Amino acid sequence: MNNPSAATATNVSKIYGHGDSEVRALDNVSVQFETGKFTAIMGPSGSGKSTLMHCMAGLDEMTQGSVTIADIDIASLKDKDLTKLRRDKIGFVFQSFNLVPTLTADENIRLPLLLGNNKGNEEWIQKVINTVHLQDRLTHRPSELSGGQQQRVAVARALASEPAIIFADEPTGNLDSTTGNEILSFMRKAVDELGQTIVMVTHDPVSASYADRIVFLKDGKIAGELLNPTPELVLDYMKNLGH
Amino acid sequence: MFRIALKGILGRKARLVLTSLAVILGTSFLSGTAVFSATLNRTFDNLFSDVFRNVDSYVRSTQVIEADFGAEERQRIPVELVDMVKQVPGVADVQADIQAFARIIGKDGQPLGSEGAGPPTFGGVGQEFKGALWTISEGRFAAGPTEVVLDESSAKAGKFALNDKVKVVAQTGSREFTLVGIASYGDVRSPGGATFALFDLATAQEFLAKPGFVDDILVSGDGTLSDEELAKAISAAIPSSYKTETLTGAQITKETQDQIGTALSFFSILLSTFSYIALGVGSFVIYNVFSISAAQRQRENALLRAIGASKKQVTRALMIESVVVGLFGSTIGLFAGIGLSKALSALLKAASIDLPSGGLVVPSSAIINTIVVGLIVTVASAWLPARRAGRVPPLAAMRETAIEVVALSRRRTLFGLLLIALGAATIIAVTSGASNKWLGLGILFVFSGTITLGPVIARPVALLLGKPAEKLRGVTGTMARQNSARNPKRTSRTAAPVLIGVALVTAVAALAASISTQIDGVFTQQFKGDYAISTNARGFGGLSPSLADDINTLPEVERATGIGLLTVKIDGKGQYLTTINPATVDGVFDIGLTSGTYADLTAETIFVSQKYAENNKAKLGDTLQVTLADAQVKTLTIAGIYEFDDIAGKYTVSRDLIKDSTVINFDLGVYIKLKSGVSDQSARTVLQAAVDKYGQGTLLSKREYIDKQSGSINQLLGLIYGLLFLSVIIAVVGIIITLLLSVFERQREIGLLRAVGMTKSQVRTTVRWESVITSLLGAVVGIVLGVGLGWVIVYALRDQGLSSFSVPVGPTVSILVMAFVIGVLAAVYPAWRATRVNLLAAITTA
Repeated sequence: MNNPSAATATNVSKIYGHGDSEVRALDNVSVQFETGKFTAIMGPSGSGKSTLMHCMAGLDEMTQGSVTIADIDIASLKDKDLTKLRRDKIGFVFQSFNLVPTLTADENIRLPLLLGNNKGNEEWIQKVINTVHLQDRLTHRPSELSGGQQQRVAVARALASEPAIIFADEPTGNLDSTTGNEILSFMRKAVDELGQTIVMVTHDPVSASYADRIVFLKDGKIAGELLNPTPELVLDYMKNLGH
Repeated sequence: MFRIALKGILGRKARLVLTSLAVILGTSFLSGTAVFSATLNRTFDNLFSDVFRNVDSYVRSTQVIEADFGAEERQRIPVELVDMVKQVPGVADVQADIQAFARIIGKDGQPLGSEGAGPPTFGGVGQEFKGALWTISEGRFAAGPTEVVLDESSAKAGKFALNDKVKVVAQTGSREFTLVGIASYGDVRSPGGATFALFDLATAQEFLAKPGFVDDILVSGDGTLSDEELAKAISAAIPSSYKTETLTGAQITKETQDQIGTALSFFSILLSTFSYIALGVGSFVIYNVFSISAAQRQRENALLRAIGASKKQVTRALMIESVVVGLFGSTIGLFAGIGLSKALSALLKAASIDLPSGGLVVPSSAIINTIVVGLIVTVASAWLPARRAGRVPPLAAMRETAIEVVALSRRRTLFGLLLIALGAATIIAVTSGASNKWLGLGILFVFSGTITLGPVIARPVALLLGKPAEKLRGVTGTMARQNSARNPKRTSRTAAPVLIGVALVTAVAALAASISTQIDGVFTQQFKGDYAISTNARGFGGLSPSLADDINTLPEVERATGIGLLTVKIDGKGQYLTTINPATVDGVFDIGLTSGTYADLTAETIFVSQKYAENNKAKLGDTLQVTLADAQVKTLTIAGIYEFDDIAGKYTVSRDLIKDSTVINFDLGVYIKLKSGVSDQSARTVLQAAVDKYGQGTLLSKREYIDKQSGSINQLLGLIYGLLFLSVIIAVVGIIITLLLSVFERQREIGLLRAVGMTKSQVRTTVRWESVITSLLGAVVGIVLGVGLGWVIVYALRDQGLSSFSVPVGPTVSILVMAFVIGVLAAVYPAWRATRVNLLAAITTA
């Protein structure tokens, strides 16, 4: 099945510095993320995987190339429109410090909607909350939630506005493996049952194996792809890449 | 790693600047007011040593009445003494001197200078004299009854040229003169912005004072005798029956300088009081900044502790920093203050108060005081945060984020409540009979208690005040509301300077409102007429008594009466008597006679207030010995007792009492009742014409007059508001600094919000509302405290005749609006900084 693309990067380069000290964090990267799929981006430290995610999510400016999110070319957007694009079309899950400490879980989940003065789809939001099992935690503030619960709130927030794509940056990096697997299962469920599109940056083969497809990055370039991975397959592939 | 280190130093440099800013502001007001006062003092000292430079002796009457507020009225001396002194061997030249009220009327019919509010308007003697105060710069001195000389400033202001006709108003009425000369006073065109009309001696006596009398005699010696010998010789030559004294030039210079010094010292004390209040407010800001920066450095300090630094060493490091900040800030504050006083002087100049320029005086006491006080305040403010920093457990280094401990101790609540209870008890004790002296202590207790309780009340009050923001601004409002409540200690410390400023302003406003209401009530009760003529001249000059007589002859007028004030001595003490005209006062101005009739008030009788009668067990028929300013002693019989003493005071006499004395008396107000059927329009026209003839006073309708009287307190209010403005500036800076540090602390949160879709304008909104909530928190609590404080002060003044308390509704509303605006303004820069947060750095740093 060939799904339409939720996000597309075409010839994206990100260069730091000039002349001799020039560093190419991303070197002419082209990649598509299909709608309704769970994609993982893997690669060793410094491979540019986070930079790719930041550029595609409109958090960082690329030096060259173009990115489209939901058919919108983000390079041409001013800060205000880019911010609105992130708010309305993109969901985010970060490794840590995902939630606003002064807001309740419920407010954190609805944050992008609230910022846009958008009521959202209440039926959908309830469905999301049920999916991540947060019904009885909604009035709590982040400081009253466990690490796993906090990440579940973050996942729910990412889903709440029915975005075109969700970017997750090492979402389980700070969690123990049981809680981590729980979060990954939720993300899997979001793709399978709720039809969401997720792109996740990770360096953990087990996490990556939850995805439909893995894109490998090395030295700022695409180094390969793997479909329907298992942890063993991922490890093998990484060995072959010389990791 | 290098970048991180560099960033740390830069961060700390910014912190150093922010902390110092609070110190700089506080100390600059301190040094500014000290330098300004010293400069002003020196200026006047120089002025008077200049004035009396060539005066070797000074002859004046020994008969003087000293009244309240340092006012004194010295008797005049007979003019024949001038010739007597001239004959004394060793005397080269003399000048008789008269200083009296005279007002120059401009070509447009308007008097020069502002009535009452501005510098005084003088009339005097101008003549050739070796020790002359005045030197002719154009034309010549006046000679004869139709000539006048003006000071340079007045001539310029009135666009008068030689040979122009100049109308001058004096106590005896108004008259037209020919301008024959323009004079300057030492180096200045006119001393201190006063206006001067100078005449020859005979004209001055007759027009300004009383024929045959002068105020004093200036003597210039021929150099054969020392000043002391000359004074002794003159003194010996004047018969003691004249009751005069002879001072040397140095003595009169010193005396005048001291008098001015005393007058200025009131001003200096006022200035420095308010600059100390400003510094006290500033100390909250300093304390807050140190607390926040210590909290933000918690991990760093914990790391130091972990690798072996002792508690003491960590504390000492912070104390050393505070010493550096204190010295740095106070030094800059000192210079900023010198600049400030220069600006104040420029302001005076712009207000055309021309003082001889002697350069700024920076007394060493001001330098030492500024640095020492600034240092002490800074170090003292840093002491608690530094100790707290030392107590940081080494383990805190491992914690993810370092946020100030927000746990509120029960002990704080109890202690705060205890202080307030103590204060309340003290105040209640005073209201039930204890001495007013304890009020200050009670107020201090309540203030300290409120500040102690600040962190406890900050959260609920901030959440309450933030409610509208949440309604209005949705989730950004919610975050602002929660941010302002998330660290109640910090919020309350930030709001404290606003609280103190607002409490003081509100208290002053409450006092003013009460006084206004009182005055309004008093005049409404006593003033029965339709129009009044008022003058702003207080204590110097006023309305000529013949104005009321003139108005009484107008066909439109039923009755007009003048009321004035007289300084006399009773039982050796200076006292004010109210003078009325018993023939016309009835039905126009009511003093509430309870016994006697106005017809009983003659040159031999006196009325006293009921309160006086009760306190002194005085009754009708008793006598009082009154010494007039010309030393005449009158024995007056009490012929009436009156109830309304708010305006009339303790004693009321007929203006006939001084008919045969050299004492000059002015009316301070003329009250007019129209004949029935006379239209306002025609009344105003004829009355205005009568007023214009004298060039003095303002015609007002009854309502206008009462409003003006009750609004007179607003002038004082303006000055106090101006001075409290210093504290407000510091409070604003305090909010700015705290917000900046909070934004710095919340970089990651702001970055996250930006990532998930918060626009820059939403970021600004959040910071702005947090600022507004904090500012309003201070204002609301401050108003509550201020109204209470105002009530207490009004209560304390009940013996001064203040009987009713009014809540200052208008000022309170404006304070709230201002607090809102201050919140918005203070947020501008921090909000901008918040939008500059590096999004990527904020979300990726672990």
